[in-house]
Amino acid sequence: MPEQIMTQVISPDLNFVKDIIASGGESLKKCYQCSTCTVVCNVTPDDKPFPRKEMMYAQWGMKDKLVSNPDIWLCHQCSDCTAYCPRGAKPGEVIGAVRKLAIQHYSPTPLAKMVGDPKYLLMLFAIPVLLFLAYIVPKGYLDFSAIPRGEDGGIVYSKFVPVFPEIDVTFGAAAFFAAVCFVLGIKRYWTDMSAGVKVQGNLMDSIKATIIDIITHKKFEKCNVTKDRKTSHLLVFYSFVGLAITTTLAIVYLYGFKYESPYPLYDPLKIIGNISALALLYGITLVTGNRLKNAEKAGKGSYFDWLFITVVAVVAVTGMGAQLFRLADIAILAYPTYFTHLVFVFFLFAYAPFSKMAHMVYRTTAMVFARHTNRD
Amino acid sequence: MEKKFGVYICKGCSIGESVNIDNLIKSTARAAKMQPEAVRVHDVLCSPAGLEMIKNDVKEGTNAIVIGACSPRVKFEEFDLPGAITERVNLREFVAWSQDPNTDATQSIAEDYMKMGIIKVQKGDLPEPNILPDLSKTIVVVGGGVSGLTSALEAAEAGYEVVLVEKQAELGGWAAKLYKQTPREYPYEKLEEPAVFAKIKEVEAHPNIKVYKSAVIEKTEGQPGLFDVTIRTNGTGETIKAGAFIMAAGWQPYDASKLGHLGYGNPNVITNVQMEEIAKTGKITRPSDGKEAKRVAFIQCAGSRDPEHLPYCSSFCCATSLKQAKYVREKNGDAVAMIFYKDIRTPGQTEIFYKNMQNDPGVLLTKADVTGISDAGNGNMFVEAENTLLGEKIKVEADLVVLATGIVPATRAPQEYLDGLTEAGKKGDDARKAYIESTPKPEFILNLDYRQGPEIPSLEGAYGFADSNFICFQYETRRTGIYSAGCVRQPMTMADASDDAAGAALKAIQCVEHVAQGIAVHPRAWDMTFPDPLMIKCTSCKRCTEECPFGAIDEDEKGTPFYRINRCRRCGTCMGACPERIVSFKDFSVDIVGSMIRGIEVSEDEFRIVVLACENDAYPALDSAAIKRNKINPNVRIIPVRCLGSTNLVWVTDAFSKGIDGLILLGCKYGENYQCHFVKGSELANYRFGKVKETLDKLQLESDRCQLIQVAISEYDKLPEIINDFVARVEEIGPNPFKEF
Repeated sequence: MPEQIMTQVISPDLNFVKDIIASGGESLKKCYQCSTCTVVCNVTPDDKPFPRKEMMYAQWGMKDKLVSNPDIWLCHQCSDCTAYCPRGAKPGEVIGAVRKLAIQHYSPTPLAKMVGDPKYLLMLFAIPVLLFLAYIVPKGYLDFSAIPRGEDGGIVYSKFVPVFPEIDVTFGAAAFFAAVCFVLGIKRYWTDMSAGVKVQGNLMDSIKATIIDIITHKKFEKCNVTKDRKTSHLLVFYSFVGLAITTTLAIVYLYGFKYESPYPLYDPLKIIGNISALALLYGITLVTGNRLKNAEKAGKGSYFDWLFITVVAVVAVTGMGAQLFRLADIAILAYPTYFTHLVFVFFLFAYAPFSKMAHMVYRTTAMVFARHTNRD
Repeated sequence: MEKKFGVYICKGCSIGESVNIDNLIKSTARAAKMQPEAVRVHDVLCSPAGLEMIKNDVKEGTNAIVIGACSPRVKFEEFDLPGAITERVNLREFVAWSQDPNTDATQSIAEDYMKMGIIKVQKGDLPEPNILPDLSKTIVVVGGGVSGLTSALEAAEAGYEVVLVEKQAELGGWAAKLYKQTPREYPYEKLEEPAVFAKIKEVEAHPNIKVYKSAVIEKTEGQPGLFDVTIRTNGTGETIKAGAFIMAAGWQPYDASKLGHLGYGNPNVITNVQMEEIAKTGKITRPSDGKEAKRVAFIQCAGSRDPEHLPYCSSFCCATSLKQAKYVREKNGDAVAMIFYKDIRTPGQTEIFYKNMQNDPGVLLTKADVTGISDAGNGNMFVEAENTLLGEKIKVEADLVVLATGIVPATRAPQEYLDGLTEAGKKGDDARKAYIESTPKPEFILNLDYRQGPEIPSLEGAYGFADSNFICFQYETRRTGIYSAGCVRQPMTMADASDDAAGAALKAIQCVEHVAQGIAVHPRAWDMTFPDPLMIKCTSCKRCTEECPFGAIDEDEKGTPFYRINRCRRCGTCMGACPERIVSFKDFSVDIVGSMIRGIEVSEDEFRIVVLACENDAYPALDSAAIKRNKINPNVRIIPVRCLGSTNLVWVTDAFSKGIDGLILLGCKYGENYQCHFVKGSELANYRFGKVKETLDKLQLESDRCQLIQVAISEYDKLPEIINDFVARVEEIGPNPFKEF
């Protein structure tokens, strides 16, 4: 990198230091640069390894050096560094906090700051809650007995909140909004990353290699302290893939074949959907369990982390619950559960570019960039 | 004194199973000219019954005692027999534990050692204390900073009269100039008001302490217990009697004008001393325009750990900068303090303060080699640095730069001046005169009226600090009765200086008390003997006055040496130096050791090697080797000496004319990390024996038969091998040709 030759001017940003501390990196200042972290890290490249230099940049409030740095995303938060840090500086947690601030930095809307701050939690939930209430209250559907039933007399959620335009327009808009935010963020990120860096090789090759890395979860195998994360993250990852397929099929059924839900349990869509949901449920339970189990060595995690885990868990639980209560025909549980499910799914997708969900996109981008620049 | 002999042999600790006790009794009795029946043997001599036996004999008049048992380094309380000359022969370590049992060689070793013990007691005499009249126990403390004040209080509280001499008009030293001081109490977070003022009050109110302010020591004459100290205050002199000194003369900050490369000269580049002044004003402002400084850079090791300036670490500057960073942060929560360091060194509990300060988000630290300060406009500066953790080459803008300058001990200037004078003196009187005329004379501290010079001799590698010569004994200088404490001795924090001061006060008390008992002050703190020269034979060659490591020997008007006995540490260097061999101690003399060497049985078909072993390190190392049951070569006979500096050349003649085949001088390491208790005994011995080798060569006696071997106390495991190697070399050379005579 060019700073080796040129003298770089450093302007410490005290507020950025305070932001990191407030975002879960409260141990940041304990670091005394012994470099144990870089030595124990199995994920870092050998040349200019992390996370020591990131700890240093963070202590000096060098925001520019951090947010545009692909290394913060190459870190998979194995927490080996945190476990072995002789001074309890928890580099893994600090870099996690920096990633949150990077997501905020590249977010084109102030929503990012709000997602990362518990102060705004109620407000963020209020948006989908009010939206969905607006769909059902005028129809008097707060009285569940007023909701029309299906031909066989069973509960049909599309009669509670219609698929079109309510559900599909709402979620379509949310997805579009998220996608635009991602594109804008990633564009700026890529520009910042590539400033002054020589890009080599074929971008497609780098993307291919990165995708293979992701679908095999190879990086996770290098973790020691949190070895068990590979299984849990893999489950969550593939269940999301499964649920994406389910959604696509649903769109095809509805708009292609005018085939409306509910579908029988033996339908391929239902089979994929239910397997994915069970995998997600099991996966997110493992994630939670691992985090609690490893808290002493790996750190307790930040608000930002736990918010994301909670949202995913609630999405899985309410999704499964809504189906079970529908089949069991318990209206008093079925409708509120489905309502909650809608609210959390909205939260998950509409706020994806600002929540920890964004790691999916930023980490992938950073991994592609790292490959592309021979960094990794 | 008429001697009544008592010889005791212990059979315990496997001595009884290693040698033929009956034959040992016979040979020993022959040497002691007594009946074999009179030699007493006991199964366990150190048992109550065994000790009872000896003590009863002492009561009945036995006063010359040889005990063949364990090493004299153990059980000294059990075998302490007041009123009797006692010699302990090391049959356990040097025979039973390091030789094959029941061989002829082992038997002969035991017999030789017993015989040497007998000779020593025959030739020796009972020491009597040498107590000089009119002794004073007053302790003079030089310097009224943290160390001096603490020393004064410690000594005064212990009941001693103290005279405190301070150069400045007020007490307190540098500690009184601080805005705040680093925390000394858990949790080491809050800065404290300077604690020195309470101490000043206590000192000024103490009935045992007399304080002289704006005062210097004009002259110091005499010796421990009998110092005459002339103190000059505002033009008037006063001479007082004193027993010992604590030199706590402190330090000066390194001259920042030599730090132009770090920007000194720019008004906004200040020293840590100036920073204290600024902090006292209530706001961190910078000198050039009085603007508040919100970005303050601290450059550590400004002139320290730098071969061009001060090569050493000044110990407290890191903590001081962290403290001053707290000034910056406490005065303005938006301000940052940036610390550029080589290594953060926060000794002792200041490490906890460092950790606390590091946790402050506004205290930014990086390792760096600061390469310079450049102008950033508006009175601001760029600190330029390399090899940082932030990047290879960086620039950081700052409003104010603080140089963490180190310390220069008060003793440095006088030492440099005096060393220069010595060097000039070597070139002749004219050069000396020119030096005196051309070199400004710095302020002296003690103005000693000693033959060897007016100040504490400079110590190689100590950079002008008045540190101890002895790795084991801090506070002790090469001037007995003068103990150094605080930053004049070593760079240290205030907390360390207080501890140091208490230690030095205890040494001063030890000094006046031992002098009052007429025994050596240290390190032979039990020793009642003293050098007693036969002055009638003195040729005034002055070798003793030159070589005495402690300046204990002065000369009278006629140039005849005389001892200031209370300065003497009883190493025997004078005894080794004297070509006339006139210096003796009651239990250690040229004759005693020579006779012991001559007492060793020498046979024609066996090699015999004598080891003269320094009592301080070499002898304990041999003991340790034996305790670990390492075999020691059966051809050697070990004789302890006080210091290799006490070895007299005539012993070489004694040994080789007797037919001894080889001689080892086993002493301490010398050179940079020397370990000699008496500064340079083994080095002196090496020098002297370098000369004797020429003589040996002339006599066609191979000079390789005589070798000085340096050994550290921790190298006991290598010793048997080292000795074996030497014995093998002597065997190669062949037997001593003088054997047949």
